[in-house]
Amino acid sequence: MLVSSCFRLCFRRSGGVYSSRGRRAGWRTLTGQTCVNYANTTEQQLWRTATTKRLYHSDLYKNESVQRYLQQLMEEYRDLSKKLEHVYLSESDRKVLLKRQSELLPLANVFKDVEAALKDLEELLSLLHGSACVKDKDEQLTQLLKEEEAQMSQEILNLRKDLIKALVPIDPLDRSNVLLEVVSGRTTGGDICQQFTKEMFDMYQGFACYKNWDFEVYNYTPAEYGGLHHAAVRIAGENVYRHLKQEGGTHRVQRIPEVGLSSRMQRIHTGTMTVIVLPQPVEFDVSIDPKDLRIDTFRSRGPGGQSVNTTDSAVRIVHLPTGISAECQQTRSQLQNRDTAMRMLRVRLNQSMMGKETEQRHTARKQQVGTRSQSERIRTYNFSQDRVTDHRTGYTTRDIKEFMKGGEALDNLISDVLAHAEREALLEVVESSGSVKQPASGQSAD
Amino acid sequence: METVLLCCKTVGTDSVFTETMWRRSVGAAHTWFGCRSAGPKRIWGPHAVRTCSTPALPPGRITALQAVDLWRRHFEERGVTEPGHSSRYIIAHLLGAKTVESLEHGKLTEFLSQEKTEQMWRLCTRRLSRMPVQYVIEEWDFRDLTLKMRPPVFIPRPETEELVELVLRDLMKNPGTGGDSQHACLEVGCGSGAISLSLLKSLPQLKVIALDQSQAAVDLTVENALRLGLQDRLQVYHIDVMKDAETVLSLCRHVSVLVSNPPYLFSEDVVSLEPEVLRWIHGVIILSAAPRFEDHSALDGGEDGLNVIRQILTLAPHILSNHGRVYLEVDPRHPVLIRPWVEAHVEGLHYVATQHDFTGRPRFCILQKEKSHKDRELYLGLRN
Repeated sequence: MLVSSCFRLCFRRSGGVYSSRGRRAGWRTLTGQTCVNYANTTEQQLWRTATTKRLYHSDLYKNESVQRYLQQLMEEYRDLSKKLEHVYLSESDRKVLLKRQSELLPLANVFKDVEAALKDLEELLSLLHGSACVKDKDEQLTQLLKEEEAQMSQEILNLRKDLIKALVPIDPLDRSNVLLEVVSGRTTGGDICQQFTKEMFDMYQGFACYKNWDFEVYNYTPAEYGGLHHAAVRIAGENVYRHLKQEGGTHRVQRIPEVGLSSRMQRIHTGTMTVIVLPQPVEFDVSIDPKDLRIDTFRSRGPGGQSVNTTDSAVRIVHLPTGISAECQQTRSQLQNRDTAMRMLRVRLNQSMMGKETEQRHTARKQQVGTRSQSERIRTYNFSQDRVTDHRTGYTTRDIKEFMKGGEALDNLISDVLAHAEREALLEVVESSGSVKQPASGQSAD
Repeated sequence: METVLLCCKTVGTDSVFTETMWRRSVGAAHTWFGCRSAGPKRIWGPHAVRTCSTPALPPGRITALQAVDLWRRHFEERGVTEPGHSSRYIIAHLLGAKTVESLEHGKLTEFLSQEKTEQMWRLCTRRLSRMPVQYVIEEWDFRDLTLKMRPPVFIPRPETEELVELVLRDLMKNPGTGGDSQHACLEVGCGSGAISLSLLKSLPQLKVIALDQSQAAVDLTVENALRLGLQDRLQVYHIDVMKDAETVLSLCRHVSVLVSNPPYLFSEDVVSLEPEVLRWIHGVIILSAAPRFEDHSALDGGEDGLNVIRQILTLAPHILSNHGRVYLEVDPRHPVLIRPWVEAHVEGLHYVATQHDFTGRPRFCILQKEKSHKDRELYLGLRN
């Protein structure tokens, strides 16, 4: 049912592709018309098996609501184009329509390509069967056609992937740099948490290196026994937020401690650490007028300077127009605290400026990935079983040592989680649009 | 920092280590008290630790938070400045962190070991004698550096962090392009080395010459440079610019930056403030009977606070390369005095700007060397 509907779709929108492909048109005349009927009957069967195989790879493509959504969008695109051509519009309306059209344009282009490719394949298959029925006519030609067919199938497969990619809602923050924090869990696991936090920090440092990103440490508070309490870093580079946004959450570790009684008893301990990832958008970077800031510090009476020795290094910065503030007393240097507070203020201002829309989108994204939330455990690192499992996708990988280097193994896992999240995001969009426009699209499908 | 880490390693070595550390600081105290042991009061020393003014060690185990609270209240009662901050910085230091805020959650509610409790009592007892916290824990942060602090070397103030910022901003805007134009910098009165070391840390090509009239300051600067691995580009000399200007001139020529946080307090302020400062609590300047923690020669700038400043500005044109700059931290009353004085008395030095500190006080003077008219005329004359 599904396949046939998608077929119909292809047939319907395939006008005018033939003529442009001169070479194959030539072949068609060469093989002649005799077998066309036969070809038509088997073609559908062959096509179907091929399709099911392909759909296995991009299962989203066959999803009914995704197809419906796709058609809706294409319908909208055609309407828009028509309106823009014919209907008289006010300047502002035209602008709105043009904006929407340009949003849909990439999708429409890929869609057109898919259609064209399908058309070509169909044609090719008919040729193939045509040549097959004229037996021992031309072995070489059949061979050529078969090769061509395989190539085309691959092309269609890739195009469909592109199509799905074009459908996935874009996160405008993807290109942002991030402020990443690693925080050791509370004392549940004791030293194990701090040790693990340090390893996680090293892992992200390795990942930044692997991705050729800048890694600037803002804060590094080591623990007594060689572990890490807390660290904050700024990671800058290409698409940093896109690759790291899925890392936010609680990470769990299970291992036998290296020292102490539990080590001797071979007892497995469980600990946690938390990763916080805040985007620092590049293009939204707010310019802050120093006049809008009130910086609160210790202020002595008298002339200050050498006549006073204060240890009060706390700094609080208030952005007066918005009332947003940040404070810091992490170090004993007032200037360091002021710089840190300023950076935090910047991130907070950015976030608030992003506006309600993003906020809604964020909550939407959180919901659609179901149970995931910042406070939830997202991944387990089981050292005693040499295994890492991501709980959102069930993705499991061995060789934890290699994984903690932050290279390819981590990249693979992140890609998997990302693909999962994007698929969920797409389904969310599809379903929310489907629930509104279902009756209309139902009609159009028939 | 190192000491903290060592302290925390294992309980076994802990006691040994603290013992030696304690003994060493007591030793230091002796030498530094030596000159004034004739004074009527000895605020602290090996015996003072168990005087009645110190609260007794708790009989049972107490948590870090309880210790902090107990000492805060005690400091308050005894009129010690910044009682809360003092006791919090000391406990943070003992627990291996810089501030209580950067300690791990829940750490404060854990019980202190016997060792740590005793250490807390020792350090807080020193604070009770109004010794600045920076000397008590023997270190402090300046910008991104952690520096060793030791009496009587001047403790850097937050304003000076901004002085470094001013120098850095200019030098980064106009970086030397290798060869001759590689920047060199002279610091007069380096104290613990805060300014010089910050500059060296931020500018990997810079070379610095640092001077101080106190041997203790020279030693501390060298020690801090070694700790931070910045000794290769730094030369430190024990020279008094007031008495030995010729040596200064022979050592430094054509530097592009002359930076200084010279003693700038007015003598009358130092004298008149002293008893008050003690009463309403500073830890900086203490009654003459009590130990002086910070060296007065690092603070007292003479009658109008300009003694050293005038000397530096007089020497500046001979030390700086053309367009080289002087950066000074001064008293808020100074900029308006310095400008006319320089215009009248120092040829070839041009007053560029006054900058304000984070409290809005006019705190920094920037001056620049310009070839004087005479030089320029001479130059033109030669060309013709």
